[in-house]
Amino acid sequence: MSAPSARRTVDSRGSFCPGPITDLFKAYRQASVGDVIELLATDPAAESDARAWAEKSGNKVLEVSQEKDFLKIVIEIDRKGR
Amino acid sequence: MVERLAVVGSGTGGTFAANFLSTKLRERIRAGEVRILLIGEGFRHHFQPACLDVAFKGSHPDAESRSEMELLRPEVTYIPDPAGKIDLENRTIFSVGGGVFDYDHLIMATGADVSPQMIPGLAEGSVNFHTGPVNAVKVWDSVRSFRKGRIGVLIAGVPHKCPPSPDEALFLLDEYLRHRGIREDVELTLLTPYPKAYPADKIAQVVSPLFEEKGINVVPFFNVDSVDPSAKKVYSLEGDEYAYDLLIAVPPHRGARVVRESGFGDEEGWIKADRRTMMVEGHDDAFAIGDATSIPISKSGVVAHLQSKVVATNIASEVEGTGRVCEYNGRINCPMEVGDRRAIFVSATYKKPPSDQSPSLMKYAMKRGFGAIYWSALSGRWEWIMDAYLGQTSEEVVKGAQQSAPQT
Repeated sequence: MSAPSARRTVDSRGSFCPGPITDLFKAYRQASVGDVIELLATDPAAESDARAWAEKSGNKVLEVSQEKDFLKIVIEIDRKGR
Repeated sequence: MVERLAVVGSGTGGTFAANFLSTKLRERIRAGEVRILLIGEGFRHHFQPACLDVAFKGSHPDAESRSEMELLRPEVTYIPDPAGKIDLENRTIFSVGGGVFDYDHLIMATGADVSPQMIPGLAEGSVNFHTGPVNAVKVWDSVRSFRKGRIGVLIAGVPHKCPPSPDEALFLLDEYLRHRGIREDVELTLLTPYPKAYPADKIAQVVSPLFEEKGINVVPFFNVDSVDPSAKKVYSLEGDEYAYDLLIAVPPHRGARVVRESGFGDEEGWIKADRRTMMVEGHDDAFAIGDATSIPISKSGVVAHLQSKVVATNIASEVEGTGRVCEYNGRINCPMEVGDRRAIFVSATYKKPPSDQSPSLMKYAMKRGFGAIYWSALSGRWEWIMDAYLGQTSEEVVKGAQQSAPQT
């Protein structure tokens, strides 16, 4: 039986490039396929970086929303490793 | 009653902090009112940026190493016995050798542990210049005997010390291989977790065209998963693989063992501290500086130096009762050689990201000049030069304003 998928929030608010993408990579390293990572960022570059990374790595951006004063980027981990 | 000031860690930040405190409080130390203790890692102090010169220019490692005792001012008491545990609640440091030291104010400059062992196969399958001069010599031995094939420079973990160093390594490799007349026989590739050749846009705008001009490849979004030393292949979490003949890695970093074993770091052992005062979360008598912290800023000697100066100034102010308090403004200034005796500087503050740059001989000379004054700068007597060059690196604030929660 596989482990249930998890949802993890990564709070990178107040951190500038490459802070948010670095935090995303750390969460990705610890995640399993099926997990969801919710990245919170105030750096606007976080969206383009996260989208480019997801496209390259075969993972899926489920949602990008502008909250009151930060971005919420939700990514589903569909692929990890060989 | 004697005011006991303790500094843990004898790298750039710790050595400078102890010396700078002693310049600020010399009279009180002589009067027996203040004691400054530096608890360090050993008897030798290495100028870490010189590992690039050792690895890619063949410089002798002894040329960039000094006796720690000779770098310290006479008012500093040095204990060459590393801290094994720190009890922040009871203000006590326990050394590996069994020493017990109580303090009133503490500066932790414990640095980072660099561990190739954290990635399967990395220790066996790569060489690196981030774990000291001995291993930088191994890089040089590998590079100078290299004849033909593929060299990968791999960023195997973030954050890491000296953010420009992977790119700089490639520029220096390119220059060295051209000098030997074998550049066309060698493929050079940067394997980076970042989207571009450098994480900051303005710097990537300088580095990327130069890489293209010099035929240096970039594989972005490469978060290393494992290395197969026998197959000479490195694999990423994103599913890519790269076959190499020589792999030069920036190994994963984490907080120092003393922090991890003392239980007050984050999950990677970095110390949570305020990004402006470097005050440790929940402890107004303890500060963390340089590589040791989780503050999202370059892990570099300049940052360690400037944070150290702010913390030492504020502690001295408290001891003297002057009420003067400074806050660090996030100034960074990391040089990067790009070959052909040219360099750029990655300069920024918390409020101002890196600006446009163009490589120049002048910046190369400035980088070399900084290396030349490093040893003297540790004494704390050359701050007028640092101030003149770096401009504003801290801001004076009203006392009490620094007592806020960490803003990292």
